[in-house]
Amino acid sequence: MDASNPIATAGRAPTASRVRSGRRIADRVLILASTIATLLGIIVLGSILLMLIVEGVKGFTPALFTAPTPGPGSEGGGIANAILGSLIMTLLGILIATPVGLMAGTFLAEYGRTSKLADIIRFLNDVLLSAPSILIGLFVYTLMVRPMGTYSGWAGAVALAIIATPVIVRTTEDMLRLVPGPMREAGAALGAPRSLVIRAVTWRAASAGIVTGIILALARIAGETAPLLFTALNNNSWFNANLLGGVPNLPVMIYQFALSPYPNWQSLAWSGALLITVTILALSVVARFVIKDQRAR
Amino acid sequence: MSASPAIRSQFEGRSPADVKAPVRIAVKNLNFYYGSFHGLKDINLDFRDRQVTALIGPSGCGKSTLLRTFNRIYSLYPEQRAEGEILLDGQNVLDSKIDLNELRSRVGMVFQKPTPFPMSIYDNVAFGLRLYEKLPKSELDGRVEESLRKAALWDEVKDKLKQSGTGLSGGQQQRLCIARTVAQRPEVILFDEPTSALDPISTGRIEELIEQLRAEFTIVIVTHNMQQAARISQFTAFMYLGELIEFDATTKIFMNPAKRQTQDYITGRFG
Repeated sequence: MDASNPIATAGRAPTASRVRSGRRIADRVLILASTIATLLGIIVLGSILLMLIVEGVKGFTPALFTAPTPGPGSEGGGIANAILGSLIMTLLGILIATPVGLMAGTFLAEYGRTSKLADIIRFLNDVLLSAPSILIGLFVYTLMVRPMGTYSGWAGAVALAIIATPVIVRTTEDMLRLVPGPMREAGAALGAPRSLVIRAVTWRAASAGIVTGIILALARIAGETAPLLFTALNNNSWFNANLLGGVPNLPVMIYQFALSPYPNWQSLAWSGALLITVTILALSVVARFVIKDQRAR
Repeated sequence: MSASPAIRSQFEGRSPADVKAPVRIAVKNLNFYYGSFHGLKDINLDFRDRQVTALIGPSGCGKSTLLRTFNRIYSLYPEQRAEGEILLDGQNVLDSKIDLNELRSRVGMVFQKPTPFPMSIYDNVAFGLRLYEKLPKSELDGRVEESLRKAALWDEVKDKLKQSGTGLSGGQQQRLCIARTVAQRPEVILFDEPTSALDPISTGRIEELIEQLRAEFTIVIVTHNMQQAARISQFTAFMYLGELIEFDATTKIFMNPAKRQTQDYITGRFG
């Protein structure tokens, strides 16, 4: 306020200070409310993590990673078969989803910016992105498990791929759209055909973002349970690399063992849950570093 | 309407416009549309060989639009279309049968913001070369060096050719883009406000470079900066609202323009 101008300040000062103290209170209330909300979120997350670590670490023995899941009522055992099954199906799922997602995302960002078809695909992709994963499990059950007459790791991988694909489509499109238009024009201005500009210039420019999307999709499907329940199911016998027939995996193992009455099963479920959480956390951290690396460049 | 001594002194010692130079690009009755918007109206204009022609005018006057017709870069956008004729060495570039990629290797373009590709300095320069010529490694190395030298960048990057082109400063990036364009040995180079994103020192270097490149290439430059047009061009076209108002030797345009609008624009009365 201009103190050297008494006419301007006279008569207004009380109102102005009242307004200002009102604003200060509103400011404090908002800060308090958002702090409480943040703390609530962190406490929930923190207590889940704490409980997981406390209960899960107990079971972290060499046997956890080497022994297969034990039969009902038997002692000891590990989750090696579930780890391997999860690893194979998740990687297979990403292997199927990546080319499809990359190509579809590229179509949306590079070729279909103004086409009606792209609008429809984009909308359907968003629907698929938020589709309940149990529906996808049932879909693959009807598509593969019933005709083949058996639960299988292939069906599990396909179900996971269907969940991962829309994530990759979306991030690929978003990341390619961030590549400045003049970059494409510069490629075209050198006489490069469009497909080459996409492969040599825009994909490269967006590579960190696209890789991040793939990693996040990997993290997303690593912990999915519902789609595997109807497709891969489980298999407590030692895993023999045969993807036909039930394939053990961490999420379904956790689901079954956690609900069981056997203490060693429950303990294995805790350890499995911790393992998945740490893996997903690690993937997210890696994804952040990839993004940071890109910004630094 | 005659110029002040200050303006007159700008042109001392400058290479004069060569009105007898052969016509490299002839624009005839060119109309351009963005959807239903009529962006260029009946443009007729000749660009002469190994001369720098500046396109000036206020924002939205159509100068960039005109530039973007010469290599048909506008055709990346389906709603944009051009009618009329643009003869490059007698061949109409607006002809639908023309090979666009071949055209663009003959008519290079440098953009407002530097557009280095996310690859090494060497690969940036070699990008255009690898498209249409299968050169042995030694020859490719030679062409890359030659191009970087022509773009006055060689001394700064010769020890880090494998490093990313995006790690260079803005001015260096722009010279890298010029090297990339020059490498293809085009006939014409189009500059679309090449210095508007650069600091004064980098701008000065690019301007010197354009003056040197004129020995080999026909140059068309769009600029918002009238001093720049006066400094580096032999011919100047003044455009306004999609029309060509006046086209003449740069000295004539700046010292003794024929049209009132040109006079008003170059003296800063509007624009």
